[in-house]
Amino acid sequence: MSIRDVLSPFSAWKNLFRDPVTIVDPLNDRPGSERYRGFHQNDMEKCIGCGTCEVICQNGAIDMLSVEGVPAQQGDSGLRPRIDYGRCCWCALCVDVCMTGSLTMSNEYKWVESDPDLFRFTPGVDKKHWDQAELGYQRHGDKHLMSRERVDMPELEPESRIDSFVEIVDGYSIEAAKLEADRCVSCGLCIATCPAHMSIPDYIEAVRDGDYERGMKLLYETNPFSEVCGRICTHRCETTCAARHEGDPIAIRWLKRHIIEQVPFENLLEIIGKPQPATGKKVAVIGAGPAGLTAAYDLARKGHEVVVYEAKAAAGGMTRYGIPEYRLPYEALDKDIAVITSMGVEIKYNTRVGPKGVGDIAMQTLQQENDAVLLAVGIQLGRSTRIPGSDHPQVVKAVDLLHDITAGETLKVPKSMVVIGGGNVAMDIARSMARFQLQQHGKIQVTLTALEDRDHFLADATEVKESLEEQIEILDSRGPQSCEIDDKGKLLGLKTWKVLSIFDEEHRFAPKYDQQDEQIHRGEMIIEAIGQMMDVKLLGDELTETLEWNRGRIEIDENGRTSENWLWSAGDCVKGPDVITAVADGHRVAESIDNVINKQEAKA
Amino acid sequence: MSKISGHDRLKSKVSLKEILEVAIEFEQTARDFYADLIPKVGKNIRYLVEELAEEEQEHYDLFSQMAQRDDLEQQLKTEVDRPVNDHKFSDCVHLPDLGDAPDDQTVLQYALMREHAAMEQYHSLAKSTPPGPIHELFLFLANEETKHKNELEKIYYETVHSGGV
Repeated sequence: MSIRDVLSPFSAWKNLFRDPVTIVDPLNDRPGSERYRGFHQNDMEKCIGCGTCEVICQNGAIDMLSVEGVPAQQGDSGLRPRIDYGRCCWCALCVDVCMTGSLTMSNEYKWVESDPDLFRFTPGVDKKHWDQAELGYQRHGDKHLMSRERVDMPELEPESRIDSFVEIVDGYSIEAAKLEADRCVSCGLCIATCPAHMSIPDYIEAVRDGDYERGMKLLYETNPFSEVCGRICTHRCETTCAARHEGDPIAIRWLKRHIIEQVPFENLLEIIGKPQPATGKKVAVIGAGPAGLTAAYDLARKGHEVVVYEAKAAAGGMTRYGIPEYRLPYEALDKDIAVITSMGVEIKYNTRVGPKGVGDIAMQTLQQENDAVLLAVGIQLGRSTRIPGSDHPQVVKAVDLLHDITAGETLKVPKSMVVIGGGNVAMDIARSMARFQLQQHGKIQVTLTALEDRDHFLADATEVKESLEEQIEILDSRGPQSCEIDDKGKLLGLKTWKVLSIFDEEHRFAPKYDQQDEQIHRGEMIIEAIGQMMDVKLLGDELTETLEWNRGRIEIDENGRTSENWLWSAGDCVKGPDVITAVADGHRVAESIDNVINKQEAKA
Repeated sequence: MSKISGHDRLKSKVSLKEILEVAIEFEQTARDFYADLIPKVGKNIRYLVEELAEEEQEHYDLFSQMAQRDDLEQQLKTEVDRPVNDHKFSDCVHLPDLGDAPDDQTVLQYALMREHAAMEQYHSLAKSTPPGPIHELFLFLANEETKHKNELEKIYYETVHSGGV
């Protein structure tokens, strides 16, 4: 036995003076590491119920469920993720993909229950002690599974577009479209926002797959104006896109347009399919705008005989006679209309409907000769400010000028002009007249005055941006007071006062002006673009009296039927101006008409 | 009700009784004007004229009741400075010709002008009367007219500025 063998048992005693390796109370004294992937937290203020976490979960551990007190609303499905810890593998993909950063993981990892069902819980809703834990796993600020930036849409530069009406936007290439489509997480929040409830995630998936015929079929299921909406839709869908929370929303409108551009027109009819056999029922539609033609398309596909009566020389309503070609070329609109007429819809152009003895065909005749009549005449008449001097011949309405441009009339455009209005029509007319000015005088001098301040313009932000690029002088917060005219009757310009506020504390229209801040905007022409209204004259006194009205608009039920059981109404004249809303309205009304005339048949 | 002469209208001082009489006449003529207008306008805008007639009737009733209150009898004899805008207010008693079938914008613009004149009148009167029941009365009337004017402005914006197209 060596001396070492004798001493070694005693050397073990030194360990008595070391810190213990074990933990005295391991249940309470051992926190997870700083970035530990522990139990989930969900910030209810940020969560939009997009369900991306549910889709990415490889174990099917997440279900999106409705929660009491969280209503569905624009941009929020009202659903919240419930997590099953019997399935969760703590990979944190749900956190990495979360579109708003609402879902995180705490560093808490201990949870004891006797009932295993309690391990299915809804973070943020089922209150837990780790809800406020600061440590744990959160997606790194700069790391995103999806690209946050939208793929740029190629378009003409201001200097190369300003002297013509050539379309500005060029359209995505296949590669660009696929890249953009790849950013979509298919949450479907956009579907609820779109008035026509288009199958947006599905047609974006078709772009990803390169299956354009499937994409086209999906478009036509809900929208026969896809050429139009692919260009000038108000794209409210993009305002609720989940991607907008941490980047650009998906370019849904441009992807719709991309699908249309990939499918030859000749293949369209085969993709859409033929109408059903003839039913022998007849429907008259008054007005060949988006609402009237959408209803006509649906009804014709159901086998009904549809004749559309259009007062103008071409179809499209305000999409043709109100939107300049640089935003919506006539060929694109013509394609949509060609598909609609190919379903058997007949359009009688230059045919004005009116009361008996007025116009080309009487409303009473339509009532007698058809099983149903749809009124979809839009809001074609321009409003006037009626400020002093506004009855001068050089004070004109924007809608009338836009109509004349489409009708191909030769416009003698003055060297300077002032536009009143801050909406899209004001921008459209200002930009159109600027093009003519450049062509006729080599110089642009258009001043646009709006009541609203720049942050509250009613026009799309893109329209405002492009107007500025095209040398339109935009003056916000200016209230028109009078059209200034000299002693010889020559129009000098527009007098405005500075607008201090438009609405009062209760958000009611009550403009307040600073009369000291008065300006005269020089212009040989003043164009009013403040609003539009329906031309009710075509109804005649008798029908106007018979119909029920609701504060200036024809009263309709939820299906678009008026108080006269043979007459329906749809589109801008009852719902206000918006193409996609008009399309949705056309569908709704067509379904109602179809139901009613089918019941008539059953009775007979 | 006594008609007020041109001479009386030019006086610098005016009694509260006179003011109330003009106000009653103001509301009565407006009510009758709108009531006459109802059958002349299309059914699509008739709601507007009917609402205006109802509103003016309510104001007329209110003012008539005040004129008959015994507790205000003494105070109605009080003379106050004639408001600067009094002529504008009084002129509203003379009714315009809005044409055979005025549209909604014409009716609204006219109604707004009347409400504005009334609002200014009662505000001026409230300013020129000492604190007390009469002062409170004018403040109340001014607020009534202001509320009505605000409602009309809202309708005007929604009707004429159709959604910013």
